[in-house]
Amino acid sequence: MQLDALDKELMCSGHVGCPGCGATIAMRFVLKALGEKTVMVLPACCWSVIAGPFPQSSLKIPVIHTAFETGGATASGVRAALDMKGDKETTVITWAGDGGTFDIGFQALSGAVERNEDFIYACYDNEAYMNTGIQRSSSTPYGAWTTTTTGADWKKLRKKNIVEALVAHRIPYAATANIAFPEDLIRKVKKAKAIKGSKFLHIYASCPTGWRIPSEMSIKIARMAVQTNIFPLYEVENGVNYTINYKPREYLVREYFKLQGRFRHLKDTDLDQIQEMVNEDWALLLRKAGEHA
Amino acid sequence: METELSLKKNLYMARTSVTTESNKTGSWRFLRPKYEEKTSPCSTACPAGEDIARIEMLITQGAFKEAWETILRENPLPGVCGRVCYHPCEGRCNRREFDTSIAVHTMERFLADTAARNETKPALERLPPKGKRVAIIGSGPAGLSAAWFLNMLGYDSEIFEAMPEAGGLLRWGIPAYRLPATVLSNEVARLESQGVRIRVGEAVTASRFEELKTSYDAVFLGCGYWRNRALNIPGEPGQGVEDGMSFLRQLRQGAKPDVTGVSAVIGGGNTAIDVARSIIRLGGRAVIIYRRRREDMPAFDEEIESALEEGAELRELLAPVQIAAIGSDCILTVQQMKVEGLDRDGRGKIVTAGTSLVEISVQRVFVATGTTAVEAWHEPPPAAEAGDQHNASVHLYLSHCTLQQEQQGTPIIYGGDLTNTDKNVTQAIASGKQAAMALDTLFQSGADAVRERLSACLVGEGPSLSMEIYMNGPRKERKPHIVSYQEINTDYFQFEPRVIQPRLLIEERTSSFDEIELKISANTAMREAGRCFNCGICNNCDNCYLFCPDVCILRGRDMTERHIDYDYCKGCGLCVVECPRNAMTLGEEEKL
Repeated sequence: MQLDALDKELMCSGHVGCPGCGATIAMRFVLKALGEKTVMVLPACCWSVIAGPFPQSSLKIPVIHTAFETGGATASGVRAALDMKGDKETTVITWAGDGGTFDIGFQALSGAVERNEDFIYACYDNEAYMNTGIQRSSSTPYGAWTTTTTGADWKKLRKKNIVEALVAHRIPYAATANIAFPEDLIRKVKKAKAIKGSKFLHIYASCPTGWRIPSEMSIKIARMAVQTNIFPLYEVENGVNYTINYKPREYLVREYFKLQGRFRHLKDTDLDQIQEMVNEDWALLLRKAGEHA
Repeated sequence: METELSLKKNLYMARTSVTTESNKTGSWRFLRPKYEEKTSPCSTACPAGEDIARIEMLITQGAFKEAWETILRENPLPGVCGRVCYHPCEGRCNRREFDTSIAVHTMERFLADTAARNETKPALERLPPKGKRVAIIGSGPAGLSAAWFLNMLGYDSEIFEAMPEAGGLLRWGIPAYRLPATVLSNEVARLESQGVRIRVGEAVTASRFEELKTSYDAVFLGCGYWRNRALNIPGEPGQGVEDGMSFLRQLRQGAKPDVTGVSAVIGGGNTAIDVARSIIRLGGRAVIIYRRRREDMPAFDEEIESALEEGAELRELLAPVQIAAIGSDCILTVQQMKVEGLDRDGRGKIVTAGTSLVEISVQRVFVATGTTAVEAWHEPPPAAEAGDQHNASVHLYLSHCTLQQEQQGTPIIYGGDLTNTDKNVTQAIASGKQAAMALDTLFQSGADAVRERLSACLVGEGPSLSMEIYMNGPRKERKPHIVSYQEINTDYFQFEPRVIQPRLLIEERTSSFDEIELKISANTAMREAGRCFNCGICNNCDNCYLFCPDVCILRGRDMTERHIDYDYCKGCGLCVVECPRNAMTLGEEEKL
């Protein structure tokens, strides 16, 4: 694979991410696309730990660790400070998990993008509060086991569609990306960097520990999420122009579910129901993009 | 100024001073990934053991010269094999299970043609001269191959060829529409420029053979099978009955025999097909008479298909009983046969069907039911029941050749059709290679070492041998494990149609001896080679580097060498699973 990205590494070895961590792979790609002139805002998430205990850092760019709910607000402030210094060149990016985006940080995020602050908000989505011990979030998908949705009480609510929530803000750019599709991911980060205003990236990042999957399957499963239409790759400009970036091979969702321990309890009837939900979401997306199946 | 100072005093900003690289996360690891190249199925299927996965990789990169040289390390005649080899490699291509196999033979021919057009000189390793001379009898594919590889290993050799031009069967037995003379002469010229000496027009008689034994350090016999096997039926030999091999030789000598009317061609091998297709090109009609069924024919299936396309008629299950000349015509009497059960080698057992005989009226009959050695002394000594002997005399029965050394005398090695079970060009090349390796080992370490040394040079499970491995080239590091389709990560490949080989139209084919398959462009070749999975070898795709969550794939300056930094590798195994072609292996960490 040839990537239009920096050869230089802005992430160090020796970080404490779990083996096969999708969030660290996502970080590597994003930094390769953004380059050194970047300030990162890190609300509480797995990466608060992976970035290193003081005085260590696993990132070779300036990082501001901040409170869980403040990703959007802190980035707005950093941007304002850079603007006051006359620095238009440096990119400000908030790097938050799904908890800090879908749930706890949603208010600050919504406020910042409503003001159309000039920054990138990247959510690396591992579909639960992984850092604190796999508690369900509003990003946890239908059917999943977590430590707060155990046994027969597996999550029976749908995953929040965060991209559509951001699209509703009519921001200049919102896109989904996936660690198994680095070319697409890097292109989208570069595109976001070049656009002025609020940009939102929803990056699928598998979690071997929390999903109960073997570490070496991390990319394979991420790829299958796209191939099965569970996590379609698309981008939306100015809240209206939809582009679907990948037309999948129409794999069945059960192929994706059967590889993961967090879905082991699901019965065939549940999987059929999930397949219907995925089909419905995909049909809706196609309609928005003005395409036919 | 004061405000600024006070700000600095009061605003405490935590600043990191070191990276996380002081944490050696390699201690977490209990599985250990490593780079480990493996064997592609095509390369073990290739009788010459060509490193096909690497050849296709180099073509994709546009490194045509290097790709061509990679072939030459294992096969001196890519221009010939790209045309006449029956490409068993394509039959074992893993891509078959995905869409269709790679057109390996088309690629091989493309490389040879490109090298010939550009007059490329190969830069190949040659071991220092050993000061020994080997006489080679016959300049067919076996002899040429033996000379080429002996040359690589530092031996002087001389080929003795009875005919006025080199090539043996390639020159006199294969029609020009399959192998144009210029292609062969180009290859021979290159061999000669690399130091192979060919003495044409020097037939070796039994007495000359004895002389050669005394004046050379070893003699290789690769003089092939040229004597037509007779049908042994009434009317043969007789008027209107000709032998297939002589007919093909006459054509290659420039003759244009009259074949008007209908000719019966008896036989089911490649010679029979070649004869039939040549007759059609000379304006005659050809009926192939075969005693078994089409699926039992030893001829290559594509050849049979082409012959039928061109208008040859195939009549199966007919055994010749008698040939009678009536006027200028022949009456060929045949017995109808039928299949009943299976015979010992798994083919349908053929028995006579009733007593009725069929008479076929033709203008002439060509007999092409196989060939044997011309002289009795060409035949290798029959395998003794005890097998190999290593006492006063050495008798080694290898997969492709037989080595004989009586009482510390001059070693004689028999190869090509004389010893091969499968008698075809690429197997002959394989025997020349094996002979060169066997002789070198015999001279260096004695007869006892030969088998072991050869088995260390097998490609995969064999029987193909690799000269690159024998000469301790980088291919030696490959593991013999043969990559299966299940071990390929097909997510990295898209369905793509196989190259369509441009060919002459049927009308153009049947009216001349012009080559049927036409050239393809470099662009097409690169695209076709790009379909190759490159099973088991690293093609620098960088997936391991890209997907490493721990930034521990280190790359050399030229981006080809890759290493794993085991200080930090946590052993997640992503690199191994995401390697599209199984060039990496995940194993258990050794206990310290």
